[in-house]
Amino acid sequence: MSGEFAVVGTRIAQPDGPAKATGEAVFAGDVRLPGMLIGKVLRSPYANALVRSIDISGAAALPGVVCVLTPDDVTDWNTFDRGMKDMPLIAGGYRIPPEEAVVNRHPRHFGDAVAAVAAVSEHVAEQALALLAVEYEQLPFVLDPEEAIKPGAPQVSPEAPGNIGKHLTYPFPSGDVEQALAEADVVVEGSFRTPKQEHCTQETAASVAYVDSAGRLNVYSQCQLAHLARRELAHIFKMPVHKVKVLTPFIGGSFGQRGSLCAEPLAAALALTSRRPVRLVFSREDHFTSLESRTGFKRVTVKMGFKRDGTLTAIKTDMLGFLGAYMACGPMASVIGMSLVMGLYRCDNRAGEADMVMTNTPPSGAMRGFGNEVMSFAVEQLMDEAAERLGMDPVELRLMNAKHQGDVAPFGLNLESTYLEDCLRLGGRAFGWRPKAEITSAAVEKGVAETKGGPRVRRGVGMCAMNHCSGAAPLYLEHSNAIVKFNEDGSVNLTVHPAPVGSHIWGALSQICAEELGIRAEDVNIVTGDTDVTLFEYGSDASRSTYAIGGATKRAAQQAKEQLLAFAAEKLDAQVEDLEIRDGVVYVAQAPDRSCPVGDLCYDAIYSFGGHATNFAGKQSFEPEWNSPIYGAYFAEVEVDTLTGRVKVPRFVTAMDCGTAINPMSVEGQIEGGLQQGLGYALTENYAIDPQTGVVQTTNYDSYKVPGSMDMPESTVLIVDEPDPKGPFGAKGVGEPGMVGIAPAIANAIYDAVGVRMREVPITPEAILAALADQDRE
Amino acid sequence: MKVFAGFDINGQTHELGIEPHQLLIEVLRDHLGLTGTKHSCGVGNCGACTVLVDGVPVLACMTLALAVRGKRILTIEGLAGGPELHPLQRAFVDLGAIQCGYCTPGMILTAKALLDRNPAPTAAEVREALAGNICRCTGYVKIVEAVLAAAEKMRGREVAP
Amino acid sequence: MYRLLTPFDYFEPQSVREAVELLARFGHRARVIAGGTDLVISMKKRQLTPECLIALAGLEELRFIEFDPVAGLRLGPLCTHAEIARSPLVREHFGMLATACNEVGTPQVRNMGTIGGNLCKAGPSQDTPPPLVALEAKLRLLGPQGERVVPLDQFCTGPFCTVLSSDELVVEILIPPLPPGGAGCYKWFTKVTVTDETLAGAGVVVVRGPGDVCADVRIGLGSVAPMAIRARKAEALLRGNRPAPGLVWEAAERAAQEAEPRSRAAYRRHLVKVLVNEAITELWPLTADLPGGLG
Ligand SMILES: Cc1cc2nc3c(=O)[nH]c(=O)nc-3n(C[C@H](O)[C@H](O)[C@H](O)COP(=O)(O)OP(=O)(O)OC[C@H]3O[C@@H](n4cnc5c(N)ncnc54)[C@H](O)[C@@H]3O)c2cc1C
Ligand code: FES
Ligand code: FES
Repeated sequence: MSGEFAVVGTRIAQPDGPAKATGEAVFAGDVRLPGMLIGKVLRSPYANALVRSIDISGAAALPGVVCVLTPDDVTDWNTFDRGMKDMPLIAGGYRIPPEEAVVNRHPRHFGDAVAAVAAVSEHVAEQALALLAVEYEQLPFVLDPEEAIKPGAPQVSPEAPGNIGKHLTYPFPSGDVEQALAEADVVVEGSFRTPKQEHCTQETAASVAYVDSAGRLNVYSQCQLAHLARRELAHIFKMPVHKVKVLTPFIGGSFGQRGSLCAEPLAAALALTSRRPVRLVFSREDHFTSLESRTGFKRVTVKMGFKRDGTLTAIKTDMLGFLGAYMACGPMASVIGMSLVMGLYRCDNRAGEADMVMTNTPPSGAMRGFGNEVMSFAVEQLMDEAAERLGMDPVELRLMNAKHQGDVAPFGLNLESTYLEDCLRLGGRAFGWRPKAEITSAAVEKGVAETKGGPRVRRGVGMCAMNHCSGAAPLYLEHSNAIVKFNEDGSVNLTVHPAPVGSHIWGALSQICAEELGIRAEDVNIVTGDTDVTLFEYGSDASRSTYAIGGATKRAAQQAKEQLLAFAAEKLDAQVEDLEIRDGVVYVAQAPDRSCPVGDLCYDAIYSFGGHATNFAGKQSFEPEWNSPIYGAYFAEVEVDTLTGRVKVPRFVTAMDCGTAINPMSVEGQIEGGLQQGLGYALTENYAIDPQTGVVQTTNYDSYKVPGSMDMPESTVLIVDEPDPKGPFGAKGVGEPGMVGIAPAIANAIYDAVGVRMREVPITPEAILAALADQDRE
Repeated sequence: MKVFAGFDINGQTHELGIEPHQLLIEVLRDHLGLTGTKHSCGVGNCGACTVLVDGVPVLACMTLALAVRGKRILTIEGLAGGPELHPLQRAFVDLGAIQCGYCTPGMILTAKALLDRNPAPTAAEVREALAGNICRCTGYVKIVEAVLAAAEKMRGREVAP
Repeated sequence: MYRLLTPFDYFEPQSVREAVELLARFGHRARVIAGGTDLVISMKKRQLTPECLIALAGLEELRFIEFDPVAGLRLGPLCTHAEIARSPLVREHFGMLATACNEVGTPQVRNMGTIGGNLCKAGPSQDTPPPLVALEAKLRLLGPQGERVVPLDQFCTGPFCTVLSSDELVVEILIPPLPPGGAGCYKWFTKVTVTDETLAGAGVVVVRGPGDVCADVRIGLGSVAPMAIRARKAEALLRGNRPAPGLVWEAAERAAQEAEPRSRAAYRRHLVKVLVNEAITELWPLTADLPGGLG
């Protein structure tokens, strides 16, 4: 498909690759400034408490300690919402109240910040931290969302009466679900449970801040939304926005976590107080206990109705999620999840509700998938159950209910393009999906007849379908900007501000820019990372960067190209319509001998004495009012050891329709990385909180287990590579979906192998054995 | 109590005054500004801080600096040894094995030690050798591919005159 | 947890004698450090804040692997897990120990961590004690008063506790040769991921005697009790008998009862049963025509 392009669709190496391969790349924690202090944060050991007093005398007297920040010292600053949603970012006026201070007198969860220090070295800072003597008054707390909504439960936040942080309804309801369910030939339903998942970015949260001689606050920030971070920091510290400058270094992973403020407010507060540069790097324990992790759901109940021929007629959802002690980004996980998954198939009757409940636990927020993974885990297992009940192949059932171009897309917009069918067929073929008769009989019989006396290790196969969004129009703010400037040698500076979190976005944008201009990708320099330099950029989340920032880039490049071609037309004595640029040379159509290198044209335009001096440059703002869903099909093979309960996943196939693959290597990389996180979500990662005390028990990799190289399946990634009519050169997003379908495909494969339905992740060996024992009893 | 000690880092000798309780990672990052060695977990589980000591991958986050004085220490900054990237670095860049890049220095050094010992590893052997290096971005697929590709390149180079 | 360590004095003794003298001088205020993979973490957590560290790494006299058909295997405590797992001598005579060492942590941890540190850490879930208690290994300890030899199953007195006094060092690990007709293996199951800590481990030695009965059997269990234990009741069930499948299963169940896990108890017991059964079932045919022992 991408054969028609010169640069788009090629597997270019990333422009930032060499810097990262040699250790030269600077991450926030690598920033070193003259006179820089090291910050450290003291965190509450209790789930809910009041700080009665903090004796700082020991710490303050320690040589090398420059400042100590207690709740008394931060009262002049504004409280804030780390998710930065205290503005109408979200259509419909959805607001999150500013709930937290830089350090809190009333820590609401284990790990909440209560004080901070800055000292001349990390050794001194650690010592100072140990010398802070805090007197706490412990308060009653509530950890379980079901307990939290009972009358009389301790109140987590004054902003959330009854601990209901947000009650949200599915924004795109239709028809009459109850009646449709009553009339359905086959109804399947189930209740599912999913945990918090920590992002485990390999780099922990970090920030460096300093106040310069002009009184401006400079902040090195890992935030995926740098311009929003600038705005929020200005708000917190009561400064005009232009007095804050946010600098984006390389970011060692994000996966949604850096969509919120993390270390920035504390680093900035220490810098403002000490008037020295301060570097604050969170320890892994800080990370686990204070940052947002994936929003967990205590209960997701889904009911689906089908006609006998397999037509999906109704879907109804009820969610109970836990937000933790601050609302932050968590609530929207329900709405996004419901919208995406209930909009995956054609279905006339849809309704859904969610209670997002506050508890005295670390906050919840966005992580790759942002609710899609939860709803997929539920709905895609029920689809499988329905297929079995209807006597259909699971692939066939999905094919017959798939949406088509021109249908209504999940977020209520026109469905621009879908190749779900291709994903299902291509993926199925590569995987060796079996014909229908074999599947149904195997699943049914294995479940009932074979558990006793069969082989110890059983193999099973499972699959699921998925769709995701490219950006979040029309639900969230969607505003991107790009500047494309030609240099006198014909190269280009592309000024944009995506988050360099590792998604190969610099490469993708350089390819889009180069393709539009007819130059080589390596002749595009990315200028970025400084809010003084870049135009407003909403940022990198919701799988939007290639789609939306790429859209702005393409438009800005087009504008610069128009200027170049107008100039070239005069030089070459031709009509603009007859010009084309290939390999950095402007040609006149049908007259290959009349040509001029782009560099010469740019040089002449800049070094011009004829009164026509100009520097070709384009600047475009772009606000996509559409949203092209990404489609995918996932196929898993599992081996279940019926004696130990351990599940292995030897093989996984993912087929993805993400529009044109700007760089197939990067697309594969996103999907392969998603597989690691999805596998962890499905089988190994269990964010544990002591139910008695609220103490977080998994605070590092020794207790929280992400899959390693030897845990991974053989992975095959197939890219459908059909252009979308709206995305730049037909591209859609692909950042998140890789993770979404893993757990449901694995759960379906487990059912196929041993006949038990696993409705809670992570699927532990003990849970498998318990389910097998239940099955035996029946 | 400061001790003056000689360190052989990336082929250069450094005389440093350090305290016994300082870890190798502090000396590399804070004394010498070699920030390519990364800190992530601090408890030995992730391999981000991996450096080679006498050719063997060890964890700088739990190694006392004094314990490795006089030994040959290689960090990511010393791998290429010139303007050209080392074949492993080249392969990681060209084959998309780097996403955020935070695990990359540790991965590449661990892989180097493997290839020094076993110039023709299988994919399974590569996975085994990298089992102590967590990557949260790539799913390891392209990393394993890159190590295998670099191994092939390096074998070819040795055969060539 | 902190990222850095608090100050201490640091000594690099040039001989084992000097190390012992230093220990005698500083007593409880000092700690020896071998690979540091355990100690450094305890110090980062401030569980331990020794005033003085005595580094063993330079003591080449504590780094050796020797085999003698009569005396068996002699291991220096400073041998790393990687060295032991790679050693042709260990692999030939006591493969189960090589297997266990290869299961410790990650490649980097195996490059740094030593067998001496592994035994002295004495945590419930260390990997080398189960095979070593099954092999009836002994430790040679050296202190200012001289030497003593302690059987490994008497070395640990509780979780993270040993008979080692504050001025003593482990200077050698002795593994007697297996009797003819003997074979052993190490079976384990990790907590979650492949490189994770061991959730249950079983080091098993089976010796076939005249009449094709099980002349001797030794079952070392790890991660399922405060320290590595021998499942002696299970052993007794098998000793002198033919290990028919039913009996092996019964013995495995008995071993599971002997385990006293604290967390995930039911599941760990279940795993003991699975692992012990698997080990003996696998080992028995191997002992059929063994000239000498094969650990
Ligand atoms: C990521 C990670 C994973 C791990 N996984 C495993 C695992 O799977 N299985 C496992 O068993 N262990 C595991 N460990 C624990 C530990 O690394 C090993 O037990 C290792 O063998 C300890 O050896 P060391 O030389 O590093 O000990 P050190 O930390 O140097 O010492 C440990 C203790 O023993 C004492 N000591 C050391 N040598 C002697 C001696 N000769 N005489 C007297 N006292 C001595 C020290 O004073 C200290 O108290 C893991 C550790 C990490 C960090
Ligand atoms: S930082 Fe050293 S192993 Fe993770
Ligand atoms: S590339 Fe990000 S952790 Fe490996």
